[in-house]
Amino acid sequence: MIKENITILNENGLHALPASRFVKQAEKFASNVTLTKEGVKVSGKSIMGILTLACEKGSMVMLTTDGRDEEEAAAALRKILEGQD
Amino acid sequence: MAKERILKGIAVSKGIGQGVVFIYETKDVEVAQTPAPVQYPDKEVARFLEAIARTEGELNNIKERINAETGADFAQFLDAQILMLRDRDIISAVSEAIEQEKTNAEFIYHRILSMYAKKLEASKDQYLRERVMDIWDVGTRVLRSLAGLTHSSVVDVPPGSVLVAHDISPSEAALINPANVLGIAIEVGGRTSHTAITARALEIPAIVGVENMLAKIRNGEQAIIDGNRGIIIRSPTPGRVQFYQSEIKKEVEFQKVLSPYCELPAKTRDGRQIDISANIEFFIEYAHAKRYGAMGIGLFRTEFLYLTRRGNPSEEEQFRVYNELAKKMKPDPVIIRTYDLGGDKIFSDYREANPFLGWRAIRVCMDDLDFFRTQLRAILRASVNRNIRIMYPMISTYEEIKKATAYFHAIKKELHGEGVDVDDDIQIGIMVETPSAAIMSEQLAAHVDFFSIGSNDLTQYVLAVDRGNERVSHLFDHFHPAVLRLIKQVIGAGHMAHIWVGLCGELAADPLAIPLLIGLGVDELSMSPVAIPKAKMVLRALTVPECERIAERALAFRSAGEVKKFLRRMITKEFPAIGGIIGGAP
Repeated sequence: MIKENITILNENGLHALPASRFVKQAEKFASNVTLTKEGVKVSGKSIMGILTLACEKGSMVMLTTDGRDEEEAAAALRKILEGQD
Repeated sequence: MAKERILKGIAVSKGIGQGVVFIYETKDVEVAQTPAPVQYPDKEVARFLEAIARTEGELNNIKERINAETGADFAQFLDAQILMLRDRDIISAVSEAIEQEKTNAEFIYHRILSMYAKKLEASKDQYLRERVMDIWDVGTRVLRSLAGLTHSSVVDVPPGSVLVAHDISPSEAALINPANVLGIAIEVGGRTSHTAITARALEIPAIVGVENMLAKIRNGEQAIIDGNRGIIIRSPTPGRVQFYQSEIKKEVEFQKVLSPYCELPAKTRDGRQIDISANIEFFIEYAHAKRYGAMGIGLFRTEFLYLTRRGNPSEEEQFRVYNELAKKMKPDPVIIRTYDLGGDKIFSDYREANPFLGWRAIRVCMDDLDFFRTQLRAILRASVNRNIRIMYPMISTYEEIKKATAYFHAIKKELHGEGVDVDDDIQIGIMVETPSAAIMSEQLAAHVDFFSIGSNDLTQYVLAVDRGNERVSHLFDHFHPAVLRLIKQVIGAGHMAHIWVGLCGELAADPLAIPLLIGLGVDELSMSPVAIPKAKMVLRALTVPECERIAERALAFRSAGEVKKFLRRMITKEFPAIGGIIGGAP
C-alpha cells in the first residue's frame, strides 16, 4: 500500500473535468484507490465521492493506492492532482 | 379516425413537413415509494442496472452529436455526467438498499442522489454547487428510463417524425437530428427563441407559440407542420395531404431551378461583385455554407457554445471550434461575433425588467473581463489561419469600442509575449444594431474595420417594437423608411471612412430588399445558408444604376407599406426576370 499527502495544484481544484480524468485514470488500475481529506475518505473511482470532498486548489489530500499496480497508479494519479498531466 | 384540426402558431422556419407526431415530454417523473414491498428485489436491481445501461447509451449518443456539431471534443462536460451515472458508490448503495428495504428502484435512487446533491449544495464553492444540475440531469434521465418513458431525449426521435413539445431547452435543441425530424412545433417561444434559430439553421420547418397544443395532439398520429403559414394540422384529410404534397413538389422544383446558382459568382448583371456570406450557429453548418455557395461566414454566433456547455467554455474548447471553422473556410473569411448573451443566460438568478434594453452582449463582456478574455484569447489564437475577423454585438457608444479594442490589443500583446502566432492584421468590426450606433456611424467608422448592420434588432429598436409580442408584432417591418434611412446613413458613413459595410439580418435574404440594398451601396450580405442561391439569382438579374434610382425614390415614402408597394412595382418593371419571386414579402 502506498500513501502520500498531496497538495492540489490544479488551477480550479478537483472540478468536474479533472475529477473525470482522475476517475477514468483510476479505473485503469486494479488497485484500490482512495482519497482522504480532513478525515473523510472516498473511493478514487467514484466521481460523486471526489466531488463531495470539495478539493479546492491548495487543499491537502491523502492518496492511497493498494494492489498489484499500486506504484504505477500512484504515479499517474499524483500527476492529475498536481495538475501536470 | 381522428378529425382534422388546425392549430395556429408563429411561423419561424420555412417549409412544409409531414410526418408522425413524436411528443417530446419534459414533465417530471414520479418517484413515489410503492406501497407494497418489492417481491423480487434481485429483479428490481436488474431493472435498475438496465436503466443505467440504457441511459449510458443515450448520453454517449448525445456526446457524439455535440462533438460532430462543434467539430471538436466539446462535449467533455458529458464525461462527468457519464461517470456520475455509472458511479460505483451510487450503484452499489442503490442495489444494496433495494435488497435490504425491498423498495422500488425509483424511490431509492432518488433518495441517494438527493443525499449527494445536498452535500454539494452545502459546498462553499459555487462551481460545485452548480454540479447539482448535472446530478439531476443524469438522475432525471435514469428515472425516466425506469418509468419506461423512452422519449427522454430528442436524440431518440425516429425517422419520419414531426417533433411536438411544450418547449425544448437549448442543450436539447442542439441535439435535433434533421435527418429524422421533418418539422417542429412548440407551445412557447418567439422568433428569436433558441428552437427557432436551431430550426432555421437546420432547415427544418418550424412553428412556435402554439398554445395548448399538447392537449389537442396525440403521439403517433399524422400531422403537417406548415412553416410558411405558421400552422400545424393534425390528422389532415386526404384533400389537405394532396394540397401539401403539391406544395412540397413545387418547392422541390423551385430548388432545382435555384441549384445552379450555388456555383455562380455573386455579381450584378453589370458586374458589381457583392460578398454573399452565411450566418451560422453551429460549426457543422460550414458544410451548408459551402454547398450553397457562400463566400465566407458573415456571422458565426457563439452563444450556442455557451448554452451547450452551460457555462463559459474553456479557452482550449473555444479555440478548437474557431480553429476548425477557420481551417474549413480558408481562404474565405470567418467573422466571429463575441457573445451576444443576456445576463439572464449567464447568471441563473439574474432577472431584469427589459432584457432587450438591459445587461447583454458587449455590456456583459465589459463588466466581466475574464469572461471576455477567454473568448478573445481563443479567437486570437485561431487567427493564425489569417482569415478570422472579430465583431462586437450591441455596440451603443464609442467608449465600448475604445475599451474593447484596448483590451483586445492588451491580449494580443500578451499572446505575442507567450510566443503565440496571431494575425496582426485581424479586422475588428461592430454590429450596427442600436439606433445610437447607426446615428453616430460617421464618428464610429474611424475606429473599426467594418460595419455589419443587424437589421432585425435595429428595426426592433428604431420602431420600439418587440416582434415577439403578438399585440405589436404587426408594427415590425424592416421596410419602414425610418429603418431604411438609417441603413443608408450607415453605409454612407462607412464608405466615407473607406470601410466595408455588410448587413446580416433577415432583410439581407429578402428578394424585395436586395435591389434596394444594392442601390444603397451595401458591400456584403450575410444570410442563412439555404437563402443564398435565391439571393444570387436576384443579384445576377440586377443592374446598379437602376437599383440606385429605385433606392433613392423608395426612401421618400411615408410608410413600410408604401415602400413595399413601390418596390414590387419597380422591380417587376426593371427586372422582369425576378418579378415572379418577389411576390409576397416574407
